[in-house]
Amino acid sequence: MAHEDDSRQAVPNPRGRRADGDGGTRRRPLRERHVEETVEVAVPVRTAYNQWTQFKTFPRFSTVVRGVEQVRPTVTVWSIGYGPLRHRFPVEIVEQDPDAYLAWRGLEQNPSHQGEVEFMPTESGGTAITVRMLLEPRGGARLLTRSTGAARLTSRLVNAELVNFKQFIEGLGQEGGAWRGTIRNGRVQHDHPEPPRSRVAQWPVG
Amino acid sequence: MQNPPGEEPETTLSVTPPKKWAAGVPAVVHALEYSLEQTSPRKTGVDLLTMNQVGGIDCPGCAWADPPPGRRHRNEYCENGAKHINDEATTRRITADFFREHSVADLAGRSDMWLNQQGRLTEPMIKRPGSEHYEPIRWNDALGVLAQELKALASPDEAVFYTSGRASNEAAFVLQLFARAFGTNNLPDCSNMCHESSGFALSETLGTGKGTVSLDDLHHADLIFLVGQNPGTNHPRQLSALEEAKRNGGRIVAVNPLPEAGLRRFKNPQKPRGVVGRGTQIADRFLHIKPGGDLALFQALNRLLLEAEDARPGTVLDHDFIDAHTTGFEEFARHARTLDWEDVHTATGLTREEIEKVRDEVLTSERVIVCWAMGITQHKHGVPTIREIVNFLMLRGNLGRAGTGACPVRGHSNVQGDRTMGIWEQMPDTFLDALQKEFGFDPPRPHGLDSVNSIKAMREGRVKVFLALAGNFVRAAPDSEVTEEALRSCRLTAHISTKLNRSHTVCGDTALILPTLGRTERDVQADGEQFVTVENSMSEVHTSQGRLEPASPLLLSEVAILCRLARRTLGGKPDIPWSTFEGDYGTIRDRISRVVPGFHDFNARVARPGGFQLPNPVNEGVFNNKVGKALFTRNERVVPRAPEGHLLLQTLRSHDQWNTVPYSNNDRYRGIHGSRHVVLVNPADLTELGLAQGDHVDLVSVWADGSERRAENFEVVSYPAAKGSAAAYYPETNVLVPLDSVADISNQPTSKGIVVRLEPTSDRARPVTA
Repeated sequence: MAHEDDSRQAVPNPRGRRADGDGGTRRRPLRERHVEETVEVAVPVRTAYNQWTQFKTFPRFSTVVRGVEQVRPTVTVWSIGYGPLRHRFPVEIVEQDPDAYLAWRGLEQNPSHQGEVEFMPTESGGTAITVRMLLEPRGGARLLTRSTGAARLTSRLVNAELVNFKQFIEGLGQEGGAWRGTIRNGRVQHDHPEPPRSRVAQWPVG
Repeated sequence: MQNPPGEEPETTLSVTPPKKWAAGVPAVVHALEYSLEQTSPRKTGVDLLTMNQVGGIDCPGCAWADPPPGRRHRNEYCENGAKHINDEATTRRITADFFREHSVADLAGRSDMWLNQQGRLTEPMIKRPGSEHYEPIRWNDALGVLAQELKALASPDEAVFYTSGRASNEAAFVLQLFARAFGTNNLPDCSNMCHESSGFALSETLGTGKGTVSLDDLHHADLIFLVGQNPGTNHPRQLSALEEAKRNGGRIVAVNPLPEAGLRRFKNPQKPRGVVGRGTQIADRFLHIKPGGDLALFQALNRLLLEAEDARPGTVLDHDFIDAHTTGFEEFARHARTLDWEDVHTATGLTREEIEKVRDEVLTSERVIVCWAMGITQHKHGVPTIREIVNFLMLRGNLGRAGTGACPVRGHSNVQGDRTMGIWEQMPDTFLDALQKEFGFDPPRPHGLDSVNSIKAMREGRVKVFLALAGNFVRAAPDSEVTEEALRSCRLTAHISTKLNRSHTVCGDTALILPTLGRTERDVQADGEQFVTVENSMSEVHTSQGRLEPASPLLLSEVAILCRLARRTLGGKPDIPWSTFEGDYGTIRDRISRVVPGFHDFNARVARPGGFQLPNPVNEGVFNNKVGKALFTRNERVVPRAPEGHLLLQTLRSHDQWNTVPYSNNDRYRGIHGSRHVVLVNPADLTELGLAQGDHVDLVSVWADGSERRAENFEVVSYPAAKGSAAAYYPETNVLVPLDSVADISNQPTSKGIVVRLEPTSDRARPVTA
């Protein structure tokens, strides 16, 4: 039974939580998008998706990504930079469906950002990759990024990176690896009783 | 550099108000003062600047994780780590003359601090049967004596091989291999006495014995609980992670019987705001809980969360997670709803309103982490408490997501790695099968002895040889007098050590001191300079390599001592290349990679800067326990009670102390100076007991069988300990912990929640009248 003082309880914060079950794809298009860019690549969806999951290879084609650490399937740490400037930030993958969709959010409070990428097959057998990103800087940076110019610059940057990816994967022809897992609400959903990475010591540690 | 003290320093107690913040400039000053007392400025510089750096020394002080390479501070250490590393790098030396001058009985009368301050051990020593003194012995002869005693045993199970958390992965792997090739699983370790309850509770509920969080998780959590731990003293680098969490907007709830300085405010000496500013407030909310009340607290929080879900269905609990990944929820929830608030208040000393405010913090937090240490594990109900913490985390899906999880904070630098390497008396068949396949012998299958059962076996004459790889067993173990009697009843005791401690003075008929290299020192073997590896509290495996010249040319590494002993004891059966292992530790790591799950390509992966992180199955969506799902548990209520006129005692470390080794008689954060023989008591309790600050009392513990144990002549200090509780220093008060007083399920000694009464020493002196 609820306590009589429940009216004074804090309102629960289910940020990022989804009310639907653990079943199918849970796409969560960004309504208030800051940036949306699409590029078509001439490789099948599976190839494009698989290569995208190899985050550590992003510096090979990107002009701004300097390094990516994969802490675990749902957490990556990105270093981006231009010239001598560097910024490092952790990112949580909150949803991931093989060959279809990936949504992430930055774990930093400031600036905070979230994004998603969709992979759609094209009639020609290629893949349309759409990236949507929402940046939410705070303080002075917020004023700067409100301008149309800033939005245009971000769009151009995202588009350029997508084109870089296109050239990269089309040049390679096939993916260099794959992570085919599913992520829901920031948690890995496994379909094998014991995925290889879970094979570690299981005895109690004092 | 100062000479070692000739006699025990005479100091008297003075008490100042407890500090309200930790670290800051005083931490730097104290660290440097102690370091320069022990060694030269050059050595201090070499140690400190390579400490916790890639390719440098892993600080033996605690098991806290390092930031990733490239993100580490040039001074990536804390006050206590700096003291500890230079305590090892001391220029003071113990030679044969020292042992000629001091008999074993003389040494047994010295304090822990005095023994440690004498400096580094430099050559093997033996105390022969009937002798009062240690005398030098050559390595070959020393190992021959030990091997001969082992071979003469009627059964391999008459030997015990103890490991302390300083031992490297390589040394630990070699020790367990030797013990099992010899024929026993008697492999107790210091884990038995610190986080055994965590291992059992987490394995049962989540299928992993290790914590699930990384530094990045802490940095980005919305809410962090610090329960039964004192980061300012026992793992100060955690304060940097907490500071970052606070700067990212996270909030912290501290739960502890003492309002420790490190839980209140942190002045980071590496940041300008920590030097000249007010620093960072750590705890946003402090729950001044009674010792052992944590189980009731989390049961109360869980009930409140269930009730919040009732009020706003679908908004509080993470049904996705509960439905898909857990089992046992219904039974748990039924039990949780029957909680009695009066019991909660009695157990915790907290009001319902205080707990509801914490519930509100939880409800507004998407990402929650619970950290805990020995303030939880060392209670009789340590395992149920941790299981209830897991229930709490699972209710809102705070597992397996970024910024969430369970964080047992371990104390000794490689305590986690040693267990991963197989130092456990109950290793599963899968591990033993892998050993069998790799080395071609049949490892013994019956479970061996843990620390408590080893002491019992020694006392009963079932164990005759005790070998310790590092540590100070008699001071770490409970029931000091019983433990010492047990050690003395052995035919042979042997310690692989860097410095003198009380365990060397509690001898079997024959006793050996086998001096070894420290972490700070170069380790050169036949194949060249070696490094070792360790695993920190967050499952990161990395290298450690010392840079200083060894304290003596006669020192052998831990690996070398164990390999030579194995060769002498076992001969060629089974056929294990001990000499190859000694000459090239990489060959040991090759074997580890084929025996220990998760260590494939060990040599290649550990050579990367920063090493590698072992995956945690929980973060991969896998629960490797018996039911294959995260397990909600129903935990019986426990209301710790002390009879009238008694208090619940917790033992704890001072700030100027590392494990069993005090560096001084001061504990500046708590305002205690000049004495460790103090008992901290709430002023209201003092009034009720008719005592006052400055009174001298004996601490008398009362055990279920009616037996009493006494720690004599402690000075009373009025202190803001939780009402009904008292606190006194470890290891001086280990004498009060009965050997039979262990945690349910984990068999961990209960150094918290000991029922004691305070008897004025004047009463003891008074003649008994009819």
